[in-house]
Amino acid sequence: MKKRPLQYFFILPATVWVLVFTVYPLIYVVRISFSNYQLGTTDLFFVGFRNYLDNFKDATFWNSLRVTLLYVLIAVTAQVTLGLYFAWILNKNLKGSRIFRTIFTSPLFVAPVAVGYLGITIFYETGGPVNYFLSFLGVHVPWLSDRYFALISVILLDIWEWTPFIFIILLAALQSIPEDIYEAALLDVSSNSQLFWYISLPLITPALVIAFLLKLIESFKLFGLPFALTAGGPANATEVYSILTYRKSMAYFDFSHGAALAIVLLFVVMVCVVQFFRIIRERY
Amino acid sequence: MKRKKKWLIGLCVGFFVVGLVGVSFAMTRERTEFLKTKPYRGITIKVLSLKANISETAVHFAKQWNELTGGDCQVVSVPFAAFHQKVFMDLVTGRGEYDAFINGDWFYGDYFLPEKPYIISIEQFMDDPKYPEWDPESLLPALQTVYKWNGKWYGVPNDCDSHVMYYRRDILTNPEYQARFKTKYGYDLPAPPETVDQFLDVAEFFNGWDWDKDGKKDYGVTMHMRTGGQGMFHFISWAAAYVISPENARFWFNPETLDPLINSPGHVKALEDFARLVKYGPPAMLGWDLGEAWDLALKGDAVLTFTWGDLGALAQDEKESVIKGKIGAAPMPGTMRAYDPIAKKWIEFDKPNRVGNVLGGSWHGVISRYSKHPEITYDFLSYMAEEDNAFWAFVRGYTGIDPGRTFAFLEPYGTADIKDYTEQGWHLDDVKPYTDAYYLNYTNALQLPPMRISRADEYLRALDVAQARVAMGELTAKEALDDLHGVFQEITDRVGKDKQMRIFKEAMGLK
Repeated sequence: MKKRPLQYFFILPATVWVLVFTVYPLIYVVRISFSNYQLGTTDLFFVGFRNYLDNFKDATFWNSLRVTLLYVLIAVTAQVTLGLYFAWILNKNLKGSRIFRTIFTSPLFVAPVAVGYLGITIFYETGGPVNYFLSFLGVHVPWLSDRYFALISVILLDIWEWTPFIFIILLAALQSIPEDIYEAALLDVSSNSQLFWYISLPLITPALVIAFLLKLIESFKLFGLPFALTAGGPANATEVYSILTYRKSMAYFDFSHGAALAIVLLFVVMVCVVQFFRIIRERY
Repeated sequence: MKRKKKWLIGLCVGFFVVGLVGVSFAMTRERTEFLKTKPYRGITIKVLSLKANISETAVHFAKQWNELTGGDCQVVSVPFAAFHQKVFMDLVTGRGEYDAFINGDWFYGDYFLPEKPYIISIEQFMDDPKYPEWDPESLLPALQTVYKWNGKWYGVPNDCDSHVMYYRRDILTNPEYQARFKTKYGYDLPAPPETVDQFLDVAEFFNGWDWDKDGKKDYGVTMHMRTGGQGMFHFISWAAAYVISPENARFWFNPETLDPLINSPGHVKALEDFARLVKYGPPAMLGWDLGEAWDLALKGDAVLTFTWGDLGALAQDEKESVIKGKIGAAPMPGTMRAYDPIAKKWIEFDKPNRVGNVLGGSWHGVISRYSKHPEITYDFLSYMAEEDNAFWAFVRGYTGIDPGRTFAFLEPYGTADIKDYTEQGWHLDDVKPYTDAYYLNYTNALQLPPMRISRADEYLRALDVAQARVAMGELTAKEALDDLHGVFQEITDRVGKDKQMRIFKEAMGLK
């Protein structure tokens, strides 16, 4: 087929956009991660891997990585499990399921920072609604003043906000499965759980993989919710990786160490994604 | 109804005109003549402020100033967590969107990091009679250090921050509680505590039971300990008396080597006692901001605290406070021994070693070097600093502006009359303890030096995290402060020791 110059003209805007807003910033960040750029710097010079080594020697780096990995592991697992469960349940035409779907997806439209500030009220220890109801069971939880419960508060709010995201994708995937497949399957299987494991799940696996990956990548970038809820506290209990990166770069104007943190995160996420795809390819 | 509405409108206009006339009578002749021309018509200046009562007060004065001068002063406010960043993004990038910043005093170290400072001195404007007049000597000497750098004025007086101790006068003078305290501790219940040991005993005694008989459990102390919620200032004002003494004025760094002093035995003992103090308040306060901590005191559920002047003023608002007429104030408690981290020795005292402080933001205006209208900006900032306007703000708790100028204090310390306060709703019995406490704090010859070095924000945050970890029982005081010593060293090395040494010495007025 003869190539016409006009087709390049149509892809030019998208190309320029990607070059200007993705490729150039990435190259720039890599560059300053190997330099000495901080507040008051007048001359930039190359410092090799010093910024990376400094970060690796910094206890706050390991703390934020640990907090983030713990959060990702628990939150993403819960979101995918609950999202899949609710998608399966609400895929049936039960009475009220449409209204429930609308209500269930509403947290998705709230900004993470707003959810964080809402969480301050919800988890307010002396008189907040959660502890009020728990008090009838004789329980008082130090939601925001204890290291472990503060992280649990973040995770619970994040699960509330983002489970609907998984739910929407998987519901659409389930609804795209033709009915005659289920009708044929019913000749061989007798229970709903068998139907789910042997028919529905394999067929929605591509959508499940995409939903899981998108959520995984987004979770590593978590920032607004914990920043609003706890500002990374108490102490550094909820200082996720993005909060540390923000502090180093934008609060302390130590752009070089902040850039090095960002590149390390990029590397970690890439490794997780590549590993995940490798496992999926081997299995499916 | 129409006639009543017209009458009301007329009354409001009348007050406004009287207010403006009153202001004009307080002005110099040159100023009055200058304003007749509405000299700033068509000119806009932008002031960036911390999002708090401070910014609302600035907006209040901006409206008046706009009316007087024809100018347009726009106040933009940003939450505390992002404020320092917002200021320096404007300066570092050279955008110069803002003419002035109502900043915290610990920002100064970063202003003077580059060869050409990011802010300009106001001394070039101070003697010009066409600008609003304010007396530099009305600001007490300890506070002047916060508004100056290397002996030159940069800040225009506004808020005056320091920590003093607040206590429930009625509870500490209750005969039944006095008797029970004496039985338990072997000495009279102090009202107020004079030493940190007494403070700890009183907080422990009153923690966990209903001493105000309102059916709820009450507490010994309340503090705002949320990380990022200025909780580290509690530790700093508490620790001052463990380190500062007549023989040692150093708290943060060795002035010869810039070695951090933060893990000296004095600091360690202070943090150990502080961690004990935290146990005498509600556990939830580890997640509390200023408002929540103050609210516990205002609701009458904590017998002690130490914080800024806002609390004493807010206590007068009967809509929010049940402690009006019951709140006492005094300078921070002292110690009977302090550690000299330079000479490396403990010093014993016969009477309590009390140390004053100018701790906190003392939020005030500085002029950006990028301002296209520095003189107009100075005009607005000094309008807020005029005696009448400043006093108006001091006596109203909701303004966030705390007293520190001579005309705010009662005799024999200043020129204010007690009626000036009571007419604004203050309880007669609260005024003198409050104003005296602040005056005595500021005029104490021993002063905690403020942290005025580049990256003060970062040093203070590291301290905030360290003290929170000790308060939560994760680390001992020694472990936390030894770690912190390393963190302080790393920050200093990253900025550059020579640069930090220059800034530190300029801030301390050392050669």
